[in-house]
Amino acid sequence: MKVKMKRVDEIIERYKGEEGVLIQLLLDIQSEFNWIPHGVIARISEKMRIPTSQIYRIASFYKAMSLNPVGRHIIHVCLGTACQVRGAPKILDRVEENLKIKEGSTTADMRFSLRRVNCLGCCAMGPVVVVDGNYHGKITPAMVEDILEKYE
Amino acid sequence: MRVLKLEIDGKAVEVEAEKGKTILEAAKSIGIDIPTLCYHPALEPFGACRLCSVEIEKRGRKKIVTACNYPVEDGLAVNTKSPEIIEIRKMLLELLLARCPEEGKIQRLAHEHGVVKPRFKLEDERCILCGLCTRVCEELVGVSAINVINRGVERAIGTPYMELSDDCIGCGSCALVCPTEAIKREKNIYPTTAEDTRAIEDRFLEGERDAELGVYTDLIAGKSSLDGQDGGIVSSLLISGIKNNLFDAALVVHRKDGYGYKAEAVVVEDVAGIRRAQGTKYLRVPMMSKLEEALKAGKRRIAVVGTPCEVRAVRKIQQQRDLEREFPGVEITLLGLFCFESFDYEGLKERTKREFGVDLDKADKTQITKGKYIVTVDGEDYSCDVRAFEDVVSEGCPYCDDFVSRLADISIGSVGSTDGYSTVIVRSEVGKKLLDATEFVQAEVTKKEIVKLVRFKKKRADKNFAVIMDGLAT
Repeated sequence: MKVKMKRVDEIIERYKGEEGVLIQLLLDIQSEFNWIPHGVIARISEKMRIPTSQIYRIASFYKAMSLNPVGRHIIHVCLGTACQVRGAPKILDRVEENLKIKEGSTTADMRFSLRRVNCLGCCAMGPVVVVDGNYHGKITPAMVEDILEKYE
Repeated sequence: MRVLKLEIDGKAVEVEAEKGKTILEAAKSIGIDIPTLCYHPALEPFGACRLCSVEIEKRGRKKIVTACNYPVEDGLAVNTKSPEIIEIRKMLLELLLARCPEEGKIQRLAHEHGVVKPRFKLEDERCILCGLCTRVCEELVGVSAINVINRGVERAIGTPYMELSDDCIGCGSCALVCPTEAIKREKNIYPTTAEDTRAIEDRFLEGERDAELGVYTDLIAGKSSLDGQDGGIVSSLLISGIKNNLFDAALVVHRKDGYGYKAEAVVVEDVAGIRRAQGTKYLRVPMMSKLEEALKAGKRRIAVVGTPCEVRAVRKIQQQRDLEREFPGVEITLLGLFCFESFDYEGLKERTKREFGVDLDKADKTQITKGKYIVTVDGEDYSCDVRAFEDVVSEGCPYCDDFVSRLADISIGSVGSTDGYSTVIVRSEVGKKLLDATEFVQAEVTKKEIVKLVRFKKKRADKNFAVIMDGLAT
């Protein structure tokens, strides 16, 4: 995936010369590319004159920012208390097995990224899996494959 | 001036209402000792270790706060030793001891508080995440090579992506303030303590140990047939090294194509590449990542031309990692440059424009000699006192105490020689072999001149380090 540095520069330009804008700037980068690439941190450091370690500190702290490329579809498996007792760990196992990746990573073909969440607030539907914002409730491990097939 | 009256452990304290005075400082002023692990008077309080927790009471309400960052208030009653506070400290120390069972300082503090054996599972950690290293690097040294990264249980001290740092200058400030052995185990930065320097000298260098010039066998002045900076010695050494098969490639700094004075480190393997890198650039450029790249790309016999901080970094890696196992056949020849300080590119460019009305990017040559900064544009020299550039000196340089690249195989600079000659200090067999293979005209060196600058640079660093040391003593 080639990152367009021109686009990065445009985003940086919005904040140049301002103080205390790093988080906002990184969020903009995140929403533009779905992640914060290695080279972009160096670019921000150079243009905003902020040491790379300070940028990396922020980017590695917030869950809203990703330091790894994210796939076309994002799967959230809920492991909140209610989903947990209804067998969510088995759902997560099945998804991991199916995609051959671990929670927190992305498939080699960039199709899916897998994440866990700790409660989505719709416990009555549990166990819940959310793909690209679409809620799939009362899931059993056997249903996992069919759900994933819907997302190319 | 308004005076704040408060009470600490029943003792009355009066504090001038100067902004920012904390409970910890007030307690200290009347001889009450509060234990701390993440506090240093020269750094911003951080409140990470929580060991300085104290109980405060105001308007009948009790609260537990950290003394290091809680500003004193009028009418405050502070209790530093209430049963609850003692319990909190014991708990913290029990957790810390379980995390770092081998750490002397933690053991001592824990034992003082009656904690002997933690009830938790023991880990094998060294770092307590107090953040002193990251704060000294950011607030005092100014380079911010390391930081707190990740979050929760994965929180750690490290460099971005846990890669070799291009920012660390190996000044060792972090190692000085670290309350444990943690920093010494970091592999991606290069804190070089006095013991490290000694060990590196013993392992790589040979000759007499001179207090000012470091370990060396020969001190000469030379002039090559090349037309470069001073005597053009660095370039001739590199060319003869490659021609005589002493190394296959050289990591040098050249001006970036189309970027004027801006520079970058590159690996060159022929005379043309070496010639292109001629001339001093008074900038810091990412170097260590390039070296690792070159090694990973299969380069093994490499000469590295670097400033004292870069030389330290390379040596520290050689010392700490088993490079021979990682990269079989690796041979590094270190050519160290004399360096008093480097400059920030933007700052130097802006200042050059302001002083002389010329563009640094169009400079044929830059030189700092005898306290003068000289820039040559279109064949014309412009010069002024280098002190005019004091505020655009690179972050970190005032914390470096090495002028002559003490740990290199061979050091080269202009100080000590007459115009048109370079001073050369040979420090090892490797350096000697390289010099012997190179043709040049020899001349006398004025050692006194070098010693003067060595002392001058050391004095500046010592003054800065004194601030850190004094804080540790309190």
